[in-house]
Amino acid sequence: MPLLGSFCLLFALALAAYCFVVGVIAAVRKDAVGYRLAETARRAGMASFAAVLVAAGALVYAALTDDFSVAYILHHSNRALPGPYKFAVLWSGQEGSVLFWALLLSAYGFVLRLRHKVDQRLVAMASMVLAGIQVFFLVLANFAANPFGIMDRVAADGSGLNPLLQYPEMVIHPPMLYLGYVGVSVPFAFALAALIMRYPGEKWIHITRRWTMVAWLFLTFGISLGAHWAYAVLGWGGYWGWDPVENASLLPWLSTTAFLHSVMMQEKRGMMKVWNVWLIFITFMLSILGTMLTRSGMVSSVHAFAQSSIGTWFSAFLAITAVVCIVVFVLNRDHLHSENQLESLVSRESSFMFNNLLLLGACFAVLCGTLFPMLSEAVRDVKMNLGAPFYNKVMVPIGLLLIFLTAVGPLLAWRNTSVGSIKRNFAIPGTVALLVEVVVGAMLVKNGIRFWTDVGQMYAMLAFCLSTLVIATVASEFIRGGIVWKNKLQTNIFAGMYQLSRRNMRRYGGYVVHFGVVLVVIGLAGAAFDRDQEQEMATGDKIEIGRYTVVSKAYTEDDNANYGSRAALLDVYKNGKFLTQLNPEERRFKASGGQPVHIVANHSTLREDLYVTFQGLNDQTGHPIIKAIINPLVNWIWIGVLVIVLGTGMALVPNATPMSVPVPSTVALANMEKQGMQPAGVGK
Amino acid sequence: MKRILQSLLLPLALVLLMGADNQEARFQKVGSKIMCTCSCAQMLLQCDHVGCPNSDQMRSQLRAQVAKTSNDEEILDWFRTSWGVTAVVEPRTHGFELLAWILPPAGLGLGLLAVLFVIRKWKMQPAPVAAADLNLAPDLEALRDRARRETEI
Repeated sequence: MPLLGSFCLLFALALAAYCFVVGVIAAVRKDAVGYRLAETARRAGMASFAAVLVAAGALVYAALTDDFSVAYILHHSNRALPGPYKFAVLWSGQEGSVLFWALLLSAYGFVLRLRHKVDQRLVAMASMVLAGIQVFFLVLANFAANPFGIMDRVAADGSGLNPLLQYPEMVIHPPMLYLGYVGVSVPFAFALAALIMRYPGEKWIHITRRWTMVAWLFLTFGISLGAHWAYAVLGWGGYWGWDPVENASLLPWLSTTAFLHSVMMQEKRGMMKVWNVWLIFITFMLSILGTMLTRSGMVSSVHAFAQSSIGTWFSAFLAITAVVCIVVFVLNRDHLHSENQLESLVSRESSFMFNNLLLLGACFAVLCGTLFPMLSEAVRDVKMNLGAPFYNKVMVPIGLLLIFLTAVGPLLAWRNTSVGSIKRNFAIPGTVALLVEVVVGAMLVKNGIRFWTDVGQMYAMLAFCLSTLVIATVASEFIRGGIVWKNKLQTNIFAGMYQLSRRNMRRYGGYVVHFGVVLVVIGLAGAAFDRDQEQEMATGDKIEIGRYTVVSKAYTEDDNANYGSRAALLDVYKNGKFLTQLNPEERRFKASGGQPVHIVANHSTLREDLYVTFQGLNDQTGHPIIKAIINPLVNWIWIGVLVIVLGTGMALVPNATPMSVPVPSTVALANMEKQGMQPAGVGK
Repeated sequence: MKRILQSLLLPLALVLLMGADNQEARFQKVGSKIMCTCSCAQMLLQCDHVGCPNSDQMRSQLRAQVAKTSNDEEILDWFRTSWGVTAVVEPRTHGFELLAWILPPAGLGLGLLAVLFVIRKWKMQPAPVAAADLNLAPDLEALRDRARRETEI
């Protein structure tokens, strides 16, 4: 099997190289022979997917059959490892993850080449660009990080999978994130292809819109799964620590979010063409940078791979990509002139520009913080890491401004918005937001929280206020449009809202995504009100925290082939009444030298989480040390992510065919105006 | 517009000016700026390695320093001196580390200037041909009127 895997990897490289070289020749020739060559290149590209798939299958087979003659399997698996984690071995180490990158890239390429009839010339050029990227990753998988290296002697058992990765979410999180990282290669390939070809119109944007959204969706889902894993496994009570590897995933997410917004300017008004092309170039380069940071050991991180020479390869590829992008842009920049002008500062166009400025500003700030240790090492010979306090100070104000724009932007019309329209659109949402703020403030004061004495809590209050403003504006958009459709179809308002959404899934899906984002923001703001308590607990000892009393009932130990574990049995009382039993646990995986992993016990509600961890044993007394944390509103984050996924799914669904409805008469329109209602499409 | 700006600036000013220190939370606050130096890449208060060679000692030193001095910056400097500059994850506001604080707002400021420049450039471009000059068919013009009305343009 390792031999088959090695052969398939080499064969895949040959096919991808053929696809790239012949694709270039075909692009230069532009005649009938060139057309036929392009077709052979396309088929070679599709075949490369099959070859990489077999190679990846061979590695998974080796993991499932405990083939410790393969060095990669020896170092990342062991006999006692449960089946699903053996499958996850594919992306658990450096060499496997490079192969996995190549597999996903060739899978995206396969789908792209399969759908070549969308636009044969453009797809042929994009396929050539994608093949170039494939060649890089397959060269890496064959010569720098080959997962099929054979051991001189076959060991009886392997070193095991990293214990932190032995958690169900870890089987899903990396593939999701990789699908996002790799997914941005497709819009990049189309953008570069369209620019090389000086392709007229915005067709490349229409073709890549769904690809970009899918990549963004995977990135979002992957990042949030990682956050949930950190919350559930690392046991420190948080979900985001501004670790360099976490930052590396956030960078392309921020730039893709900016692209998804600014691309609308190009679609609707033919503006910001240079900006959009560079945004997608930068997004791709950031995804490569993120992969490099994770794998090169350039930065210290709890989940970065070890130091290796692979970083040099990535640096070279990044440099080549940057040079290619600059050269192609310089040669074809006259093709990217704007077709329209900005007519007013108070318009949808300008809101998109400021949205992009803030998103890119946030991206730049995270990039500075992530790369600062390297800069510091180069200048002062000391790797100075920047942690959460730095990022919170820089990012929170930017985030708050972004939420404000999320509330305001969708209600501004294209080209120009009158002051009257702003007043009319914001009066109710603004009032609702202020009322909610007052109520929340009163509730906090009632619970003895003097939020005005703490900067973090003041920021949180502002975040609550702005999030309510976003929710109210989104609701007002649905309600206003729903009423119009209700009147047109003589139906109820919910059916009206459904019709409204079906006719413009992208717009209303976008609103649902905004709603999900503010749910996440509310959850994040809750962190400003965290409380925690840690103490040694003999049987019968209590921790009083918030409304909860945690009582130690017993302490147990267990042992199986994969790990030994220690757990505390705790009874939880809420306001004096028994609520539940929690069993925080600590596992020590045998194959990994006894590195401890926390299995957190969490009682979760919409209002707050009671998060309990087993911190270890007191050597002298033999009693467990328990840490209890009250994390308010954490569930809102996970719910918000699901809403974002739902909204993105909505936006990916094609619009319903326009249906025939009676056009409102002039009298009806006049009546609607009298009632303060507006026809559908305001602010569109 | 002026009122809108005032109402936006007021809460921002409140956020920046308010926030007196809660003395009881100083241990947590200062501790959140210190990193465990055992190479685990975790924050000091989050480091959960049982048997970690450094974190327990660092935590007790932090408690002692919080009790000894009321100046948080002095405590952070003490940790920089005792455990190396890498122990503190919040950069200083002077010297080379000031660069970390300057770069993000500078980038944002430059971006803002670029946006304003682009807006100005766009506004200075000649206006598109007026619809009236195109001799549009009356029915097309009616549709355009309706579109304008419905989109508030």
